[in-house]
Amino acid sequence: MIEVTSLSKTFTTHRKDPGLWGSVRSLFKREKVIKRAVHESTFQVGEGEIVGLVGANGAGKTTLIKMLAGIIHPTSGDARVLGFRPWERDNKFRRQIALIMGQKAQLWWDLPAADSLLLLKEIYGVPDDRYRATLDYLARVLDVAGQLTIPVRRLSLGERMKMELIAALVHGPRVVYLDEPTIGLDLTAQRAIRDFILAYREQNRPAMILTSHYMEDIERLCKRLIILREGEIVYDGSLAGVVEKYADHKVVTAHLRKDGSVSREGLERLGQVDACDDVTIRLRVPRGRVAEAAAELLKRYPVADLAIEEVEIGTIIERIQRAKGEVKP
Amino acid sequence: MRGGLLRDLLTAEIRRRMSYRADFWISAVSSLAVRLAVAWFIVKAVFEGSGRPVVGGYDATQMFFYYVAVILVGKLVQSTDLEQSVSQDIYEGGLTRYLLYPVPYGLVKYVQQLGAMGPAAVQIAVFAAWIPLAFGWPQGLTPGGVAMGIAAIAMANLLHFLMTFPIQLVSFWADNVWSLMVMHRFASALLGGMLAPLTLFSDSTRLVLEALPFRYLFAFPVESMLGRLSPAQWAVGMLVGLGWCGVLSILGRAVWRRGTFQYTGVGI
Repeated sequence: MIEVTSLSKTFTTHRKDPGLWGSVRSLFKREKVIKRAVHESTFQVGEGEIVGLVGANGAGKTTLIKMLAGIIHPTSGDARVLGFRPWERDNKFRRQIALIMGQKAQLWWDLPAADSLLLLKEIYGVPDDRYRATLDYLARVLDVAGQLTIPVRRLSLGERMKMELIAALVHGPRVVYLDEPTIGLDLTAQRAIRDFILAYREQNRPAMILTSHYMEDIERLCKRLIILREGEIVYDGSLAGVVEKYADHKVVTAHLRKDGSVSREGLERLGQVDACDDVTIRLRVPRGRVAEAAAELLKRYPVADLAIEEVEIGTIIERIQRAKGEVKP
Repeated sequence: MRGGLLRDLLTAEIRRRMSYRADFWISAVSSLAVRLAVAWFIVKAVFEGSGRPVVGGYDATQMFFYYVAVILVGKLVQSTDLEQSVSQDIYEGGLTRYLLYPVPYGLVKYVQQLGAMGPAAVQIAVFAAWIPLAFGWPQGLTPGGVAMGIAAIAMANLLHFLMTFPIQLVSFWADNVWSLMVMHRFASALLGGMLAPLTLFSDSTRLVLEALPFRYLFAFPVESMLGRLSPAQWAVGMLVGLGWCGVLSILGRAVWRRGTFQYTGVGI
């Protein structure tokens, strides 16, 4: 459904020195700065797939989505979404996609959501019966039927986001871009949005690309992950794969009974010691030596509880994003 | 664009405008009543100061009605604050949502401008109704003139949109087009007959003004309405105004095409 080939985008901005003199100078001469936002990106997304697009701020996630939604033109490369070049903005293409932006309201601020939705029904030419059925379903699942007639500006952030989701999906898009859909929401609202996205995916099978800084979004919703660093794709694969590829160790945590005495020296030959006190030992142990380390801990210390965990995905991604060159597993 | 969509866009803008009741009535009072009072004092000062009974083909009463008409027509033609709407969309990234919709952006904005005319018309109806009672029936105002005036206002509204649209699209390249809009507003007011009737200009200047689009924004609809134009003059004026609409529409399309190529979707 989405095919991206060597897609690149550079932006030209102007640098302005701070202060009054900088402002005066910029009236006559401005220094041009070329920023590479996305570089040679290639990937595909299939029907019913939710792909997590992650990266630090400025990594190029939103720029990539904007190109695939047809909002901006690429500098080079090509992309086909449902067979269309997005930036040519064919109406047949635009009727089949949706972009949900957590940081940008799309609904008419001064009108009740119901009015905006009616407008969108007309904009997308949705037949009456289909509109009614879709709206009933979306409002019921998102639990906002009672808020449809309240002006959008008076809704809570969570309710507004739910309305944004309805507005984006009321025409039944086959491709959905979700740009930080849970940003700023409380935990309950985040969970509700995630559950809804999963349910919607099950029922409608659209291709979805999701960007988020919340790892829980990515872990709950995406089986596949694309990691962007400074505009380049540095990883494209399964969520489990990124852990296996980039985390060469697991975290072994032992909680001790009060009467234990712990020697740091003895622990260092089992793995890297992250924490060590009278009640807790936390080690980073190479994958191949986890069983041996666990057995050693149980033998040597009065262990009350033992946990063996993968490194948090957020930590791995953060490490990849920080690294300048090739990230060694 | 389908009829249902046009209707919904139009009424959505009307509802949006009317959702701020206090602002609706305050703007009605401030922009109409105050300007009418200012017009009254200006006309009084001009005629009393010059000591002449007729200035630029208008006596004091006719001049006052000219100002009344040009204020009311101006409100319909300019449709309040939508003049900055396009540049704001570009500057703040609001354009993004319109680029996603399968409808032409320019047409959506124009229909919104028409929608903004609805509340303006209500304000005009409320505040203009008492004018004949207070100042008498304007000389030259006939049903035929009113009909010609309404058609001229419709053309002027479209012309105003098509003039401001390409200027606002400069926001694709410049961060702020406010100064360009101020220049346009000033040029329109001076050369379009909002500051003073165009009959105050010399014959040769008037000839030039008739060829430029500004006259067709304010002076032409007002002169049509007040019966100062013959049907033939009105027909020629409509043709010139619509001709400018065509030229500006082509210009707007070209600038839009180049501009959207530049668009970076700021704010998201």
